Amino acid sequence: MLDEESNEPILADGTEVITDFEEEINDRNRVAPVIEFRDVHLAFDDKVILDGVSLSVRRGETKLILGRSGGGKSTLIRLILGLLKPDSGQILIDGEDITDYTEEEMMRVRQKIGMVFQEGALFDSISVYENVAYRLREQNVDEEEIEHEVRRMLRFVDLEDAIDKMPAELSGGMRRRVGIARALVGDPEIVLYDEPTAGLDPPTARTICELAIKLRDLQDVSSIFVTHEMNNVGYLSSEYAIINHDGEIVFEKEGERLCLINTEVIMLRDGKVMFNGTDEQLRSSPDPYIHNFVYGKN
Amino acid sequence: MNPLTRFIFELQEISVLIWRSFASLFSAPRYVSEWIKQMDLIGVGSLPIVLLTGFFTGAVLVLQTHPILGGYGVQASTGQLVATSLVRELGPVLSALMVSGRIGSAIAAELGSMVVSQQIDAMRAFGTNPIRKLVTPRLIALICMLPLLTVAADIFGLIGGALVASGLFNQEMSVFVSSARTGIQVEDIIGGVVKPIFFGLVIGSVSCHKGLSTTGGTVGVGKSTTNSVVIASIWVIILDFFLSKALQYLLGIGQT
Repeated sequence: MLDEESNEPILADGTEVITDFEEEINDRNRVAPVIEFRDVHLAFDDKVILDGVSLSVRRGETKLILGRSGGGKSTLIRLILGLLKPDSGQILIDGEDITDYTEEEMMRVRQKIGMVFQEGALFDSISVYENVAYRLREQNVDEEEIEHEVRRMLRFVDLEDAIDKMPAELSGGMRRRVGIARALVGDPEIVLYDEPTAGLDPPTARTICELAIKLRDLQDVSSIFVTHEMNNVGYLSSEYAIINHDGEIVFEKEGERLCLINTEVIMLRDGKVMFNGTDEQLRSSPDPYIHNFVYGKN
Repeated sequence: MNPLTRFIFELQEISVLIWRSFASLFSAPRYVSEWIKQMDLIGVGSLPIVLLTGFFTGAVLVLQTHPILGGYGVQASTGQLVATSLVRELGPVLSALMVSGRIGSAIAAELGSMVVSQQIDAMRAFGTNPIRKLVTPRLIALICMLPLLTVAADIFGLIGGALVASGLFNQEMSVFVSSARTGIQVEDIIGGVVKPIFFGLVIGSVSCHKGLSTTGGTVGVGKSTTNSVVIASIWVIILDFFLSKALQYLLGIGQT
């Protein structure tokens, strides 16, 4: 696969961010979906939120979910985490049918998933350090390891200085980044982003997208990225991260010769999947609704 | 939904919450440090207002009843009247009302804003059961601390009463004390401590339920807070009647 072609030589550099690629190559289930929705229906009272949604996310793939506000995008993510249950249909995580799992059973599944919430959703009564350490504390990890992990994650989002601050002292963009660091503790295989750039200035939004690209290309994370901003789609579906000869992470455009196939776009409308394909297909779609969404006008 | 259905529905939800919260006591993790933090916030934090309430309630009881009792020539029994009414009724009920105002509102507002800012979702997503971590410690703290606060309020009420009796009505302190002693039976004290246990349960479960079921953003938080105080206070007063009746029956108090 192309994404692996762009990854493998870099993986040979052996930096700590890179996952074990031998295992990756030998993994026969690589094409098997990590997240799969099978004809999922959900309605609140009379309001239909999801109307027969089927989709799948393969290992190492990022699915961008587009759609208008209130179109069931966030609901999709809540369903994956088991915070909500569908009325009918099936949801599979790593091939496991989680549809009828109890809260206790879901706890185990949730350990594989990192979640970045809309406004960060940091616990505002505890410090940044404790926020990022939260999941490890729940698992009774010892303090030394917690500190190491927390620092590593905060370094990843470039916020190590904020370690002792309270969430209230942070700007909106910093809160989102701490939210990302918190989601990444424990190296989850799946990361879900719920409008992580909504309401942020363009450079900060760009930083968040770069973090998502790094995770996808250098750490082989599968993710769902819910957004309604087209520039996010531009970044995520046309750029990739590699480590150059100086050991720095750089972002390159796919250009003419490559085509990223590990990022696809899904568009929701009225609770249905109305588009599923690459960003090129999205941009050239003749459908007036999509055209309107992509270009902001007809 | 009509009001009766809604009432039964909410009662069911609250019962389930209480059940789950106590069921969680039998397995780890128990977050004991969280219990202690809540006990400090709820118990020690509410001490000043509860003591003030108790003190002035006792004081005003003497102020109002001493002249009336004097009309019958039994002003020496003021202590007994104050002690009985404080220990049996006013101590438990007024402490519970003060705590429901101070703590019930705080719990509903805190949990409510955690819901609307998705912190509860985040908690679940990171592997914590919010009932274990948030509801159980608050219920335990209220159930343990409210009886203690009530006893403190009773004592300060008696002190307030004694000071008014001796200061304003020139009654010998020893007369007030010995009269107060005849007014308090062991059964009264048991009753006065059992009631707050139930009041604590009501305040905690109503406010946690209201907080956790918050919808509709910051406006919703305000609504939950108001509702939790109003509902908890009303239930404290209604429950007080039935608890008094039950205690009278069980302990044989107040029937002389």
